[in-house]
Amino acid sequence: MIRHLYIHVPFCHRICPYCNFYKHKPGATDQTAFVSALLAELDFRQHTLGIPIIPETIYLGGGTPSLLSEKHLASLLSGLTSRLDLSHLKEWSLEANPATFGISKARLMKEHGITRVSLGIQSFTPLVLQTLGRDHSPKEATAAYNHLREADISSVSIDLMFSIPGQSLKSWSETLIAATSLEPDHLSAYNLTYEEDTAFFQQLKSGTFSADGDRDADHYHHASRHLTKLGYDHYEISNYAKPQHRSRHNQAYWKGADYLGLGPGAVSTVRPHRWTNIPDTNSYIHRQNPTHETETLTPTDFTLERIALLLRTSEGLPLKHLSKTPDIPSELATISKTHIILTETGRPLADEIAVAIA
Amino acid sequence: MSLERTRNFSIIAHIDHGKTTLSDRLLEHTQTITEREQQDQLLDGMDLERERGITIKSHPVTMNYVAKDGLTYKLNLLDTPGHVDFSYEVSRSLAACEGAILIVDAAQGVEAQTVANLHLANAQNLTIVPVVNKIDLPNADLPMAHRMLEDILAIPAEDAVPASAKMGIGIEEILEAVVTRVPSPKVIGGDDGLLRASVFDSLYDSFRGVISYVRMFSGTLKRGTSIRMMSTGKIYDVKEVGVFTPKMTKRDVLESGDVGYLIANMKSAAEVKIGDTATESQRPAPEPLAGFKEIQPMVFAGIYPVSTDDFEQLKLAVGKLQINDAAFQFTSESSAALGFGFRCGFLGLLHMEIILERLRREFNMDIISTYPGVIYEVTKTDGSDLEVDNPTFLPDASQIEEIREPMVKAFILVPNDYIGEMMQLTMEKRGTLINTETLDDTRVMLTVRLPLNEILVDFNDKLKSATKGYGSMDYEHDGYEPAKLVKMDVLINAEPVDAFSSIVHTTKAQSRGRALCAKLKEVIPVQMFKVPIQASIGANIIARETINAMRKNVTAKCYGGDISRKRKLLEKQKKGKEKMKMFGKVNIPQEAFIKVLKSGD
Repeated sequence: MIRHLYIHVPFCHRICPYCNFYKHKPGATDQTAFVSALLAELDFRQHTLGIPIIPETIYLGGGTPSLLSEKHLASLLSGLTSRLDLSHLKEWSLEANPATFGISKARLMKEHGITRVSLGIQSFTPLVLQTLGRDHSPKEATAAYNHLREADISSVSIDLMFSIPGQSLKSWSETLIAATSLEPDHLSAYNLTYEEDTAFFQQLKSGTFSADGDRDADHYHHASRHLTKLGYDHYEISNYAKPQHRSRHNQAYWKGADYLGLGPGAVSTVRPHRWTNIPDTNSYIHRQNPTHETETLTPTDFTLERIALLLRTSEGLPLKHLSKTPDIPSELATISKTHIILTETGRPLADEIAVAIA
Repeated sequence: MSLERTRNFSIIAHIDHGKTTLSDRLLEHTQTITEREQQDQLLDGMDLERERGITIKSHPVTMNYVAKDGLTYKLNLLDTPGHVDFSYEVSRSLAACEGAILIVDAAQGVEAQTVANLHLANAQNLTIVPVVNKIDLPNADLPMAHRMLEDILAIPAEDAVPASAKMGIGIEEILEAVVTRVPSPKVIGGDDGLLRASVFDSLYDSFRGVISYVRMFSGTLKRGTSIRMMSTGKIYDVKEVGVFTPKMTKRDVLESGDVGYLIANMKSAAEVKIGDTATESQRPAPEPLAGFKEIQPMVFAGIYPVSTDDFEQLKLAVGKLQINDAAFQFTSESSAALGFGFRCGFLGLLHMEIILERLRREFNMDIISTYPGVIYEVTKTDGSDLEVDNPTFLPDASQIEEIREPMVKAFILVPNDYIGEMMQLTMEKRGTLINTETLDDTRVMLTVRLPLNEILVDFNDKLKSATKGYGSMDYEHDGYEPAKLVKMDVLINAEPVDAFSSIVHTTKAQSRGRALCAKLKEVIPVQMFKVPIQASIGANIIARETINAMRKNVTAKCYGGDISRKRKLLEKQKKGKEKMKMFGKVNIPQEAFIKVLKSGD
């Protein structure tokens, strides 16, 4: 059974210079055709997979799903509802950006079953927003947050970024204070990553930007201290939640559950297979079978993925995934009978530790 | 052709003074070789030789020259390697001659190597034919060159033949001078007719085995002769004899005075020792020709495969190299840091570089070498002596009565303006000035005694930079001298790393230790914990650096679409980790070893 469904909406107003996800400006794309294609893919998968899809979580990511017009959003959400057995659904997330929706779109989300919205605010410092190429202001961010609250979305998360060129620890601290004063149920705090094929990567290579390991660490630890003090549970490297507000969908990825991804560039994993849809909206709309690349996961692959992902979580990595109990200094990890759990010092070294114990 | 009309000679010169060009002109003038063939022959040489502009392996050649007296003379030109690493081979080649052409550059005058080479030639009592070359250059200064010949080398200026090998000027005069001034070949042993053939070089051919280059000092040598190599006592049947015209050409017999080759059933270069005497096994000469020495390596280093899987392949490669280069020695050793490899002995640094390059190019080996060192003589407190070529085997300080290190006598030519800098460099390198000789208005020759270890790596570079490129140096080995030497260890995360151990002079230990620790701090990747780097002598820490712990290395986002990429990265890093040389808990990557071992200080 497939219990987790991801849907990729690749449209963005502006292309952020750090983002390497598959996305593009809406341009001339026929949104009606796109929504139909998504629903058609769901039909196609339901017919071809031969496994029931009974979602416990649905996640609409992007791109910017909140950019869909109310009409198209409504037809997508109701199209999904009419096709799926939602009796087991516990969480239905949607990614939204400030200045792409108002109170009416927020209410529409609520009416159609959205339980959780992740709001891409990134920063409350105008200069940092400018560096990131975001076209919203701190004021618009707050307004968007208030719309979601007003529409009674049960769980609201805020996305933030840190260690951005020009961002001081003070500026990061102010962003954290501004974000937490809104009392979101969940916060994601992402270290800026210089991904290949992005404008930021070019600027890093040309020397306009410089990576700063110390700034990364300082910002990371500051966030962790600040947020845990306010009662947020640091349940994964970049994620913090108030009780009962963890992202079930993302936890499913880390634990290795099967998931179906719909939309251009979306990835699905139904063990032992993993496939990626064609990362081109136009081709996606016109194809019956959008599968682009497929790989077969060996048990070793699966184990490696668990090591890479579960070390990042507060639950830790079950020792059963390792051939022997590793000899890690106690300042980096605590080892119980069943799990290895990284300490606050060890957590930001998770990738390094994964290499050492894998 | 009679002995009276045979001349055996070499050409000696400072690098770039025109030895190869003059050799080519002589061959051309005597029609031994056409211009076209010359090009071909040039291309036949080892790439390494041409790249470095030096001759590593010498090739003798026989020329027929019709002199002004109307008679035809047989001229045997023995080429000599142009580097001090091969000075023993040079001395054997020179011992096979009666004369030497000494080239001096008309613009640059006498250089350090000219002096060193002349010393070697004089040691063999050779007749010197001085040639002032490159007289066509606009900055040629014939009076200067003449003055230097007289003042520095004590050679009468009127003996010098002015020439330009490049322009073909003076070639005939040089050949005449060889014929008229160089004596005909000497015969050893009077008329006893016993075979005495000196092996002055050898070549390994994978089809024919060892080809020995010989100078006949008495007797005759032909196919079927049963010979005994006098240093080893081994007996061989001669398969073939011949001369170089310049190609190897079979002859029925080699006679007294001849220069040629012999092929017997020798399977590896180690079977023939340069300087050895071949005699008839049934009628042996009573004693060998003078001057034979066992070649001793002077420079030692460990050679390791980058990947431990390549050890067997490296073993085959070094074995093959030794078959055609008897001066190269190796024994297997292992290092905690680098795994299994070989401790290798070389004639000098150039020889070491050549071997490393050949392993890389001809055998396609991915290798690293440890810091080069010399061989020390140690007298222990119990009175016993031992030789140490690897710091690991230096006994504990409490058991050492005395350590002696190899010395060299260096001839350094410098412009007057740089004497101060040169003296400073000499002191820095623990040298002592033996002699200062004023050469002319602008230059002096310093004779300096230095520890070999001090000039191994960067001395020539430092000399060049201290003298803005005007200084030049050559040296000869000059015995052993007691010195205050100690073993310096390097500890990374409190564990000694044998590959970085060295034997250093007490006055240099601290600066060397500091430099090494600083370099290691630069090249060892940050670890998940704080890593102390220390240099120590016994229990005393003399230098220290700390690599601070890594603070953060973690991917920001890991969701459904990121998982494969994340896994592949982890797989790649895991493989990288296997390639690293593991040490304690600190991973010292291969590159770090290479960077430190290459950096010199």
